[in-house]
Amino acid sequence: MRLKTTKIDKLKITEILISIILGLTFIFASYHKIIDPAKFAKVIYGYAIFPDFAINVLAIIIPFIELVTGISLILRIYTKSALSIINMFLISFILVIAFNLLRGHEFECGCFSFGNDNQVSSAVSLLIRDILLLTAGVSLWVRQNKF
Amino acid sequence: MLKNEVSQIFFLLAISVFLAFFYNYFSPSGIALFGQWEKSKGVVSPNAKNEVIDNSIEINDPNLMKKIVEKKGEIILDVRNKDSYDEGHVPGALSFPLFEFDDVIEKLLELTVPVSPIVVYCSSIECSDSHTFAQRLNDMGFSNVNVYAGGYREWEEMGYEIENNEN
Repeated sequence: MRLKTTKIDKLKITEILISIILGLTFIFASYHKIIDPAKFAKVIYGYAIFPDFAINVLAIIIPFIELVTGISLILRIYTKSALSIINMFLISFILVIAFNLLRGHEFECGCFSFGNDNQVSSAVSLLIRDILLLTAGVSLWVRQNKF
Repeated sequence: MLKNEVSQIFFLLAISVFLAFFYNYFSPSGIALFGQWEKSKGVVSPNAKNEVIDNSIEINDPNLMKKIVEKKGEIILDVRNKDSYDEGHVPGALSFPLFEFDDVIEKLLELTVPVSPIVVYCSSIECSDSHTFAQRLNDMGFSNVNVYAGGYREWEEMGYEIENNEN
């Protein structure tokens, strides 16, 4: 019985740590976009997927959704709902990046900073990174149902 | 406290949207709700509050630019980095990289007077460096500065003559 409790505690601690890492990643990612929305708008334009009228609105809103869900996840307020939004975001990022990689469209990610060179290799690595983050996000989301 | 997950999601999104528009409205680096993303209207821009792009000073016609180049009456400045310039540039253009503005501006003042017509270009219709350069020239009293909107990419795509400094 005691052993079982310790195991659950360890799992809980791991879960909290992963939540903090994922939350901080989202907060960190939002920072430079909030500081310079014009550059982020140009990055969204560079993805060549979204209609012109939506570009600026997306550039204004996306960073704040990242910021609010990141904070929500760390503070464990509406955790499961924040995770749902985070996971939807990660799925969208993965689809957008994969789509552009497949059609050979070069673009700047704009995820953590602006002005990266070597865009194709960075796109692949960021695709892998987003898949890892999504794995963490989905595992946390599933665990919310258990406790 | 909201029990329902859907209302929680809605709540988080509503807070985000409210904060986003509130911040954007008051931030000096805020942007308009709609940008200028139509290439036919000139250099694309998010229409930020601190925007340097002024579509009214643009030459958005490669044929007109070609005539200006052939006439050789105007100073043409390539504001991309020196390596790009060396690989290829518009004939007669001088290398004045934006990031070396303070160093190169003296050279420009030796070459010309502020009333002379100057055309500035950067890499493409998607870059704003030429406008930043033009704005800084304007601030220094240059009164006749235009921007070739299509930039080097359009010039190259049109198949016009290219000069390069490579051996």
